[in-house]
Amino acid sequence: MALLDIQHVSFTYPGQTRPALQDVCFSVHAGEMLAVCGATGSGKSTLLRLLKRELAPLGEKTGRILMNGVPQEDVPEAEAAYQVGYVMQRPEQQIVTDKVWHELAFGLENMALPQPVIARRVAEMAAYFGMEDWYDKPVSSLSGGQKQLLNLAAVMVMQPSLLILDEPTAQLDPIAAAEFIATVRKLNQDTGLTVIITEHRLEEVIPLCDRLLVLEQGRVLACDEPRQVIAKLHDRPELLCAMPAAARLYHALGADGVCPLSVREGRMLVENCRGRGRGLPEEECTPGTPALECKEVFFRYDRHGPDVLQGLNLTVHEGEICCVLGGNGSGKTTMLTVAAGLNKPCGGAVKVFGKKIKDYKNQSLYRECLTLLPQDVQTVFLCNTVEEELADAQAGVDMLPFDLRPLMHQHPYDLSGGEQQLVALAKVLATKPRLLLLDEPTKGVDAAAKGKLIGILKELKARGLTIVIVTHDVEFAALCADRCAMFFRGSVVSTGAPRTFFSQNSFYTTAVSRMTRGWFRNAVTVEDAAALCRQGGAE
Amino acid sequence: MRGFADYNPIAAAVYFLAVTGIAMFCMDPVILALSLAGALVTFALLCGQGGRAHWYTLGLFLVMALINPLVSHNGVTVLFVMNHNPVTLEALLYGVAAAAMVVAVLYWFRCFSCIMTSDKLLYIFGGLSPRLALILSMTLRYVPLFGQQAKKVKQAQTALGLYKEDNLIDSFRGGMRVFSVMVTWALENGIITADSMTARGYGLGKRSRFRLFRWRAGDVLLLTGSLLLAGLALMGVHARAFTWYPAIAAAPMDALAIAGYGAYGVLTLLPAIIHAKEAIKWHCLISSM
Repeated sequence: MALLDIQHVSFTYPGQTRPALQDVCFSVHAGEMLAVCGATGSGKSTLLRLLKRELAPLGEKTGRILMNGVPQEDVPEAEAAYQVGYVMQRPEQQIVTDKVWHELAFGLENMALPQPVIARRVAEMAAYFGMEDWYDKPVSSLSGGQKQLLNLAAVMVMQPSLLILDEPTAQLDPIAAAEFIATVRKLNQDTGLTVIITEHRLEEVIPLCDRLLVLEQGRVLACDEPRQVIAKLHDRPELLCAMPAAARLYHALGADGVCPLSVREGRMLVENCRGRGRGLPEEECTPGTPALECKEVFFRYDRHGPDVLQGLNLTVHEGEICCVLGGNGSGKTTMLTVAAGLNKPCGGAVKVFGKKIKDYKNQSLYRECLTLLPQDVQTVFLCNTVEEELADAQAGVDMLPFDLRPLMHQHPYDLSGGEQQLVALAKVLATKPRLLLLDEPTKGVDAAAKGKLIGILKELKARGLTIVIVTHDVEFAALCADRCAMFFRGSVVSTGAPRTFFSQNSFYTTAVSRMTRGWFRNAVTVEDAAALCRQGGAE
Repeated sequence: MRGFADYNPIAAAVYFLAVTGIAMFCMDPVILALSLAGALVTFALLCGQGGRAHWYTLGLFLVMALINPLVSHNGVTVLFVMNHNPVTLEALLYGVAAAAMVVAVLYWFRCFSCIMTSDKLLYIFGGLSPRLALILSMTLRYVPLFGQQAKKVKQAQTALGLYKEDNLIDSFRGGMRVFSVMVTWALENGIITADSMTARGYGLGKRSRFRLFRWRAGDVLLLTGSLLLAGLALMGVHARAFTWYPAIAAAPMDALAIAGYGAYGVLTLLPAIIHAKEAIKWHCLISSM
């Protein structure tokens, strides 16, 4: 018997005519790991929320959801709450209490378990997740990745049989995301926990999951073993763009044979192509007039604290897109706030268009000169609808290289990650900046929206803007940057054109670069590799 | 090694209540001197140096000690007359005693706040009701979170040019808008938190409470010891019956008074005694290894 049986479920939100889910049928067996993917608005979140009774949205639902053969409505309240664990996207807002130990105990306190049982389960979970060191720390001192692991642990202490994860790594950096996914996988392997997961970033998830369910406009397009599903997506670029690089390369080469999923399998695909030793020419960065200059910049938040920026030297030239990459806590975001004049450096000089920041008097730095779009785009919004928001910033909708008209009457908080980013970008562009600083613009943005964002940034560059992007997303940087800089311990350690830059890095680089290493020189994107493989085939 | 900070919070709280309570309500010079000395020793032990704050306290002490004889003209021993008002020895000494009391209590409170982390307060108040404990814990989380987010919004809006000029009116107007959006943010995020709580079965019934601390023999000893010593000290103070006005007078030092003072002295030094005991134990352990 299946753990979960979804039979002909349709769902319509109140006041909507088009159903969010239509005749959805599938079942999940105990111990299975199921990934759910689909474009934004395809009904992924609605589906997951329907599976967790306490979080089910209001609306008209038909069809049946059976848990262990029992209709969802007939499962006792307590069992429904504790048997299904649910972790959402935003790590910060899901945490209820102020200390790690209390958060772990929260669910168990709700179950009214006696002290010794709580003590045992909390200890067990803290040890399993390696949380001993931060057990009695305040939650606010944790990093985003640690917070999300805490959310997972706080659910796992209740010993659920089904774990539902709604884009759990969307707000995390790639290393924290990989750690989170690995932990989920470990739970699945060690305890036979059933997992249903949706993700923007499928690169890591797909090779691990047993089955892949593709949703399109509320309908199940496919639900099968991932290789089979992906192999069938040939004519669906909007879904394919979220898939692992190996699978995309496989499709670009004509979808012949078994679909590879991981970098290792992708290497075999490339190996079979002829034309080994080919390569693309190296790129050089052409120097121009500097737009942003940081010279020997030092910065620390506390008088007695450590240096966050240590002798930072970075020059960004006018009319280029410069991507700054680097690990967590290396000081990238701090660099942007210093460059934007929000934090004053303790030493060194920052010049914007040849003029020192402190010489920009009376907030003139932020008028038609420089602007910063922060990591948490919600901090940009002040009004109740997108329309008010744009009117408030005096943003001309017609001037933008993208269309916001369909979103006009929505609340900015209700938009998807990609849409929020675009609205925030519109607001930021209204100050007519010449230098645009972006902090993690791809956080919480799905693959299709990311592709769109790259187009928009290139269009802005063509209009003469200089763009500095701080990001963890190497694939994104490879596609849009003119120059990349590697940040490490408070300063830039290397810069270069993306092709050269990524082919010299061996870990901090794109999946394609890792797949083609040793066979092709300087192949960084799927298009590069596909072109080289095709050339080989023509020989 | 179990320092004073590791004792059960309820025992520690009772200890602080006893030691400060007696200092506050018994205007007895010996008690006050013992209390001040004990508070300083305990402070150095539990909280470390303290830095510049000591100078402020000294200033406070001097001001309070000098103000009393200027405003209170009670007492029989006139030292001199100022502006047709007598300045008396009794008022001066009383001022010094009152200042010592305030400073001692201040130091005891500082020790208390060094020792009582939010976890311990939660343990004490959570005993009244698990729901109260949760509210307390959530407040401790959300108040700083709100502040952090407000700071982030302010930075974001600065970079967006919300503040048109460098003047007060403009920054006030900007601040108001940031505050109003923070309310929306808090409500919006409250929904996610509420979801996360119901998803984990909050509100299904009676809650239990996970306690980080438990009672050990040492805690019971500290609790009963504090209460006994405090009782003895009170009896001693009562037997001494010290009065400041109109003339300084007290019953003769009998055995009970001496015992009372002794008991209070031990009480103020309890954390130091515990500390010394642990240090000796540790030393013996090391040398026997």
